[in-house]
Amino acid sequence: MSENLSETLSVLILLSSFVLMANKRISSYIKSFRIQSMLIALAAGVMGVRSLLDEGRWDILIVCILIVVLKVIYIPGLLNRTYASVRYRVEKDFILNIPILVLVCCGLVVFSYFTLASIDGSSQGMSNMQLVNSISVIWIGLFFMISRKKALGQIIGFLVIENGLYITAMLATQGMPFIVDLGIFIDLVTFVLIMGMLTFRINDQFDSIDTDQLNNLKG
Amino acid sequence: MKDCTPGRIGNEAMNSIAYIIIQLIVTLLAAPLVGGLIKKVKALTQKRKGAPVLQMYFDLYKLLQKTSVVSEVSSWIYKAAPYIVFATALTGALLVPVSTKIVPVLIPGDFIMLVSILALGRFFMMAAALDTASTFGGMGSSREAMISSLIEPSILVALFTVGLLSGSTSLPRMMQTVQVTGFPFAHPVYMMVGLALLIIIIAETSRIPVDDPSTHLELTMVHEAMILEYSGRHLALLEYGAAVKQLVFVTLFVNIFIPHDQLIPFMGFGAVILSLLLYLLKVVLMAVVIALIEVNTVKFKLFSIPNLAALSFILAFLGILQFFILGGYHV
Repeated sequence: MSENLSETLSVLILLSSFVLMANKRISSYIKSFRIQSMLIALAAGVMGVRSLLDEGRWDILIVCILIVVLKVIYIPGLLNRTYASVRYRVEKDFILNIPILVLVCCGLVVFSYFTLASIDGSSQGMSNMQLVNSISVIWIGLFFMISRKKALGQIIGFLVIENGLYITAMLATQGMPFIVDLGIFIDLVTFVLIMGMLTFRINDQFDSIDTDQLNNLKG
Repeated sequence: MKDCTPGRIGNEAMNSIAYIIIQLIVTLLAAPLVGGLIKKVKALTQKRKGAPVLQMYFDLYKLLQKTSVVSEVSSWIYKAAPYIVFATALTGALLVPVSTKIVPVLIPGDFIMLVSILALGRFFMMAAALDTASTFGGMGSSREAMISSLIEPSILVALFTVGLLSGSTSLPRMMQTVQVTGFPFAHPVYMMVGLALLIIIIAETSRIPVDDPSTHLELTMVHEAMILEYSGRHLALLEYGAAVKQLVFVTLFVNIFIPHDQLIPFMGFGAVILSLLLYLLKVVLMAVVIALIEVNTVKFKLFSIPNLAALSFILAFLGILQFFILGGYHV
């Protein structure tokens, strides 16, 4: 049952990144990112309960609480505050139309399946499927980052890549050492703070957070 | 021919005839109910009293008694289309069992045939709308052609996925396989396909994010624009056909994703009755769900519909992908 639950969660996490890709507005990006983080916290919770029952380890459950505090409450709140203060007129900011973006993402899932299948010794069956899903989340985050023009969209793309890396690491190792998790979280908070600050600066300088306008800096 | 004993042929034929009769009666009686329920639930959420649930039966009865007005510049397609639409909807209904306790023996056909038959009806509806050369007809036809061509791939991919899981393209077999699974929505593949089919049902039955069934507004109508010229008996047949088609899709969804026949341990006449009652309960539930989706969304503009279609195609495709990544894992 818990095996089935964790594979359902891994599919839902993949699906939430597709939903993120199909969104048009920055406020919905933040909402989708929050949902994805909730799903990841849930997956960590399932894994944490299992490791607590089997081996008596508490650390994955603590990490789960940290994910809830940081990625579900703090970082989306911070992004919402940034978004409220640099609000601009036009919100649609993608380079291709949405059906094509989503279809390319689908291609990325197939791609990550074939890359994973070509690795010798990659495990078959369930964990293989979960690995494919979480690696696809990384690819989709990267693609999200390059398909959006506004700085806030790119921050969220980075956060999705990070989510994908985190879930891949968690599935592959059944729980990383606690100190590594803490290091990743501290890095993440620093990154978001710096990027938020930078977004304010870009907005001050150019009256917009469209990163295409940074091309004006060329001599 | 010589080793078929008369008794067995008689049994199978009786079984099939009983199936056809029960299937037709249930479908014909329950089809207008779904639309009425959806309207009632929508009215209740808006603090209105709303029309009675049985309103569509009264409308159909009234329309059937009136004569049809037919434009004199129209061709035979205009007059034939209502009958073809109704007949294809009923034939489609025969392919989707309401209860797997009675299984057809002599009716061949699978979901590919179901999709093709419904497409035939839709083709004649679009052709008839173009026939009288009114402005709204052409507009409705072009919109319907766009929506249906976007939605059709995802129906086929979604149903192919369920077919792969059950190892058969026949709809009764698919439904019987799901009954062994228990709770399909916990299984990732079924979950994806189920969500895809939910979007497909909404698009196919002209529900709100795609088309607004309750208005005759020039900007929004798709299905209404095509049947705007019809009146009397022809209109009744077209409306009834649309209702039957809606019930066919709802049946497909509820019988694949909320299986109920495994709960009935005994066989025979009582089992069929109990199964049909449970089926009607599921249809009511589904109608409430569709109504709640309709209340909570706004109508998309026409050029946003490809996004919805892309999402449903992706869901179905991810379902089939997860199936292959699982490595032909049968539930």
